[in-house]
Amino acid sequence: MKQLSERIKEAAFGSLSSGQVEMVIGWQKGPLWWQSFPAFITDPGETASLIWDPFSVSNLNKYLLNEVPKKKIALFLKGCDALGFNQLLRDGRVEREKVLLFGIPCDGLVDPARVEATGLSKGLLQVKKEREELVFYYKEGQRKAPARDFYYSKCLSCRYPNPVTCDEMLGEAVPCQPLERFANVSKLEAASLEERFTYWSRHFSRCIRCFACRNVCPACSCRECIFDIAEPRWLGKAKESGETLFYHITRAYHVAGRCVDCGECARICPLGIPLAELNRKFIKDINELYGEYDAGADLDKEAPLLTFKSDDPDVSA
Amino acid sequence: MKKITKEKLALFWELLARRATLYLPLQEDGVVNFAPWKNGARVNLRENSLVPPKNVFFPQAETYLRFQTGAKKLQLESLEPEEEFILFGVRPCDVASFTILDKVFLEEPVDGLYAKRRRLGTLVSLGCNEPGETCFCTSFELEPAFAPGADVMVWDMGEFLLWEAQSEKGDELTAKINELLDEAAPEESASALSLRNTTAAGEAAAGCQQEWNTAGLQEVLRGKFNVELWEKLYHRCLGCGICTYLCPTCHCFDIQDFSRGLEGERFRCWDSCMFAEFTLMASGENPRPTQKERVRQRFLHKLLYFPSKYGLYACVGCGRCVRKCPVHLDITQVMEPIK
Ligand code: SF4
Ligand code: SF4
Ligand code: SF4
Ligand code: SF4
Ligand code: SF4
Repeated sequence: MKQLSERIKEAAFGSLSSGQVEMVIGWQKGPLWWQSFPAFITDPGETASLIWDPFSVSNLNKYLLNEVPKKKIALFLKGCDALGFNQLLRDGRVEREKVLLFGIPCDGLVDPARVEATGLSKGLLQVKKEREELVFYYKEGQRKAPARDFYYSKCLSCRYPNPVTCDEMLGEAVPCQPLERFANVSKLEAASLEERFTYWSRHFSRCIRCFACRNVCPACSCRECIFDIAEPRWLGKAKESGETLFYHITRAYHVAGRCVDCGECARICPLGIPLAELNRKFIKDINELYGEYDAGADLDKEAPLLTFKSDDPDVSA
Repeated sequence: MKKITKEKLALFWELLARRATLYLPLQEDGVVNFAPWKNGARVNLRENSLVPPKNVFFPQAETYLRFQTGAKKLQLESLEPEEEFILFGVRPCDVASFTILDKVFLEEPVDGLYAKRRRLGTLVSLGCNEPGETCFCTSFELEPAFAPGADVMVWDMGEFLLWEAQSEKGDELTAKINELLDEAAPEESASALSLRNTTAAGEAAAGCQQEWNTAGLQEVLRGKFNVELWEKLYHRCLGCGICTYLCPTCHCFDIQDFSRGLEGERFRCWDSCMFAEFTLMASGENPRPTQKERVRQRFLHKLLYFPSKYGLYACVGCGRCVRKCPVHLDITQVMEPIK
């Protein structure tokens, strides 16, 4: 990864100092081992602070909605981020000429919770990736373990680790060995209605309605979101099961066919609500009903839920 | 000092739950939160809860008025909490957060709902054996293993829990469950004190990587309304409610009605200064138009406005925002450059 982080710094420095872009969005490191976060850099002199490490998981493309450049913005895209970018593009929310994209082939990133679960986090100072292994650094000594054991579940089922779009790729393509992504959905489908209702009610009862899942989602790009509108207030503000279900079901329907399955909503949810399963149910249904469609990847295919046809059986009937 | 052996805990929960609603840190789907104990629930005394226990005194949503309009007359019915409860296992940082909430809700004009819940509840605090990686309560002169504001203080000594009442309410509770408590031996009682000392001493608190000098922070922040720092920080903020909803000291709320036909209810619910609509006015004007003003508000409220008004910081160093802000825009990010 060392090499990649050097290339990131170079790309950022080059595009800023040449005047090609006015801002670069990348990642910086915080004081604790798992803290890597989005960084917004306009001064070429600061590009050396950019990093790439096993925790550079934040998706950067959503910030394009807030930052309005006169010239261009450069940003780095992992595989999942590239899908989200394409969706923003397809939804008409970003202008392709206003961005310079650097692609990062990414074979997976580390979930701090998995490190904690093994107890390796105690006194941990830093984590580095060396080939297929993670190296954990402590005050005294280091330990090694297979990297894949610590990856986010979204990464283990990632189908596009190599960005499907970019202007310049900053590394060699990585192999892609995704786990079956619909396994949990199939399991839920097989459960009884009552079991499914209990399952989702239990999970959603924890929802604190922080809207982080929406705010991070590249398919949630509306200028004004129905859930924020005060007059009329569609979504009541009470933490109440009916309102919470209304939020989640409506959101799931609204991103159906546009959700790129980047897994960000489920990753970011502080209460561990398995939102990916809900979205994947929709994806699976769409695939079965209208033929395989991969939002964010299949740009030349018609979007099944966004395409109107006059010979639609429902219309002609 | 009293003690209770761990084998008796299941019985203990049952006995306590018969006296009053018993809130415990319960684990479900890998997440620990305070919830009413039921038989078979999984109690987790090792980790602090994700959602702070403020929601027991100040629920995320609570209805306090029902209304109905008939032919002519408007009928109103006000609702008040009635249920006695025991809140068991609150960490000292979160106990200290109630001191902060008390300032807001118990000073004139007194908030009746909060005041009533404070009266109805008995607070049992559990000392921390080992502060976590993101804990920095000691920076606010709190002790990881001691909460002066709790009715009862409990320490986990491995095989048993030590139990010490610290208030009248604490004595009453102790009397009610005396049958399950044993007298602790002098050396056992002494071990609680040594736990207090080791966890309080900064470097002995092995996990506690963060130590901040908060003395004078307030003065440093005065006049920092328009500094470059806010410009630098805010870009990455997602404007979600995680940092404020998970913060034990945040106390902002909204009041809303829910109505159907001729009847309805009025409730209050948490709100967050990180949301754009928080300051949106009916005219369409928003005095905090971008995330920059919102981020600044959160930090300055905690570290400048609140202490200027009440004499103490509105942060207890629980570390929840450090752990859970998805982009690491936590309170230490402001304390760091200022330091
Ligand atoms: S989902 Fe794929 S591209 Fe995204 S972080 Fe994980 S492995 Fe990388
Ligand atoms: S991120 Fe989680 S807790 Fe927050 S609104 Fe979404 S589902 Fe609810
Ligand atoms: S600071 Fe972090 S937790 Fe708070 S609103 Fe911003 S992104 Fe969300
Ligand atoms: S500001 Fe952060 S560390 Fe301080 S009390 Fe709130 S959540 Fe805890
Ligand atoms: S930080 Fe924001 S939400 Fe928290 S108490 Fe202050 S104004 Fe309210």
